[in-house]
Amino acid sequence: MLGLKSTINIIDNSGALIAEVVNVLKAKSVPGVATVGDEVTVVIQKARPIPQNSNINPNSPAAANKIRRGDLRRALIVRTKQPIRRPDGRYVRFDDNAGVLLNAKKELLGTRIGGVVAQELRAKGWGKIVSVAPKVV
Amino acid sequence: MKVEICSFSGYKIYPSKGKLYVRLDSKVFRFVNGKTESLFLQRKNPRKIAWTQVYRRMHKKGITEEVAKKRSRRTVKHQRGIAGLDLAAIAAKRNQKPEVRAAARAAATTAAKEKKAAKAEKSKAARVGLPKVSKQQAAGKGQAKGGR
Repeated sequence: MLGLKSTINIIDNSGALIAEVVNVLKAKSVPGVATVGDEVTVVIQKARPIPQNSNINPNSPAAANKIRRGDLRRALIVRTKQPIRRPDGRYVRFDDNAGVLLNAKKELLGTRIGGVVAQELRAKGWGKIVSVAPKVV
Repeated sequence: MKVEICSFSGYKIYPSKGKLYVRLDSKVFRFVNGKTESLFLQRKNPRKIAWTQVYRRMHKKGITEEVAKKRSRRTVKHQRGIAGLDLAAIAAKRNQKPEVRAAARAAATTAAKEKKAAKAEKSKAARVGLPKVSKQQAAGKGQAKGGR
């Protein structure tokens, strides 16, 4: 149930910590609410400080990947506090809303994921992210 | 179809019942209904809530039938024959009278002695041809040859 102005934790190692949802990328007929497995556009509200000494060359590809506060990126929701219904009738609820950052090609921006992710991702076609996750519930 | 058990009360959770709660430390808790979930979130200790399985086990409520059943189970040892000897042979050997055993032992020793004597005779006959050399001389020769 994440829509405009909702904040999510970013649980990969891209450097961002908290992001704010700006848009939900779904078909226009569906209500503007995102749940697990949905892509959203986010604004980075809080990011890990980038060490000033290492990346002196501003044109290197590594510098381009650095996440700063105020960046506009895409993200994928992986956990929600709102219970998700499973086909067997059970409901799963996580303790927080979390997501991982993606690039334009729907690939993970970070390299590792820290924490649990929901199983729904596999069903919605995010198998790559599921394979990197340490635990899937 | 797997029937889970409630993390709080110990009741069985059938499919389509209950909720799964995943905490931030990736620990999974299953609740059979809103009552158990609410109590868990209020951080109540199930050991103190009288109707939970944890409490009942701790205070040994209604456990007497289980304990009574578990007494009678002692394995009986059966004697079995091995590859070389079947059961009858083992029994026969065990039940031999001591005199029979002594006689057998004596027979064995005499047989061994005879064998030894025969061997000594044989080696003596072989050595008659060679000159009589003491052991030390033989050893000395060997050393001289084997040395630098």
